[in-house]
Amino acid sequence: MSRRFRRSALIGSGLATVLVAGTVLVACSPGTSGDSNVAVTGAYIPLPATPGGMAAGYLTVQNIGSGADQLVKVSSPGAKSVTMHRSTDTTMEEVGALPVAAHGKLLLERGGNHLMIMGWTKAPAVGDVLELDLTFARGRTISVQAPVKPLTYRPGS
Amino acid sequence: MARSTTPRLLGAAALVLAAALSLTACGSSSGGSGGNSDGSVTVTKESSNSPYQGTLLTNHFDKPDLVMNDTSGQPFDLRKQTAGHPTLLFFGYTSCPDVCPTTMGDIGVAMSKLSPEDQKKIDVVFVSTDPARDTPKVLRTWLDSFGKSVVGLTGDLEKVKAAAKPLGIMVEDPVVNKDGTVTSTHGAQVLAFLPSDDKAHLLYLSNSSVDTYAHDLALLAKGVPA
Repeated sequence: MSRRFRRSALIGSGLATVLVAGTVLVACSPGTSGDSNVAVTGAYIPLPATPGGMAAGYLTVQNIGSGADQLVKVSSPGAKSVTMHRSTDTTMEEVGALPVAAHGKLLLERGGNHLMIMGWTKAPAVGDVLELDLTFARGRTISVQAPVKPLTYRPGS
Repeated sequence: MARSTTPRLLGAAALVLAAALSLTACGSSSGGSGGNSDGSVTVTKESSNSPYQGTLLTNHFDKPDLVMNDTSGQPFDLRKQTAGHPTLLFFGYTSCPDVCPTTMGDIGVAMSKLSPEDQKKIDVVFVSTDPARDTPKVLRTWLDSFGKSVVGLTGDLEKVKAAAKPLGIMVEDPVVNKDGTVTSTHGAQVLAFLPSDDKAHLLYLSNSSVDTYAHDLALLAKGVPA
């Protein structure tokens, strides 16, 4: 019987896990309970391959709060347009919002979610710093100073 | 007991299915990331047998029969002018902030780690999937950020599509968005052709690292069989 019980308990927990995963995926929106508490780290901009041309922006959003949030807008006083994109195997697409799970991280990194920065007020050079203003669905706006790094810069290198 | 678990399992299966479906819905367009003419991919990982870190191709594609102008405006015959050289081939476009410069940057950094002699042995060819905006000048300026020796081809998109298709690389017409940005759908894999038979033996997905390229380019320069 204990064996049977364990089996059904396992199935139960598996089912619960799947259910939770399913809920998060389907929701794709901030939860209504718990506070979000987001911080932005590791922001950088690789020098555009075409001088003054479009650039990518990468950063990490960490949410130490118990409520989910979403990054809904990014802007900069130094660039006309900052949009959020997601790279896929074959193309990239603009996204309106990027979810930040409760106690989770949102990674904007090469080959995945990233910012697309265009219309520079001044053509960027390595060592310059661009202000990025990140607006979250739960109301918070965070400004970070993103350094312009060499084109082939990789975090941690 | 068995009676009661079966429906539960079925229920779990249904939920897994639902989760998978919503993943697709929330996610992105998937597409032929390379391989056969139908868009499916035929790759295999036989790392134990190959000194290379790239993905081994089971189907050794011929180099495409592609003649297009390079960035100096001269016709470039891909088959003739890269014959007997290890060759990397990548399709992309310059109005692409993430995958294209990242991939070319990785290749550029990896190339710079080789001896000058080995660098000269390897041909890196970039074919534009957005020729309307990638003029020879625009493309040259962009490519120079990664290496002066990178060959850039731009011109007739139909030729590009025809060259990419047999390699399992999907290339679609670029889309100009409302805000003026351009989205080009193109397979982001890099193919490596060996100098021995001028056929593609290795494939690098867009998440390949500089280290992987540096490791494999050193072998390619020496013509090591895959």
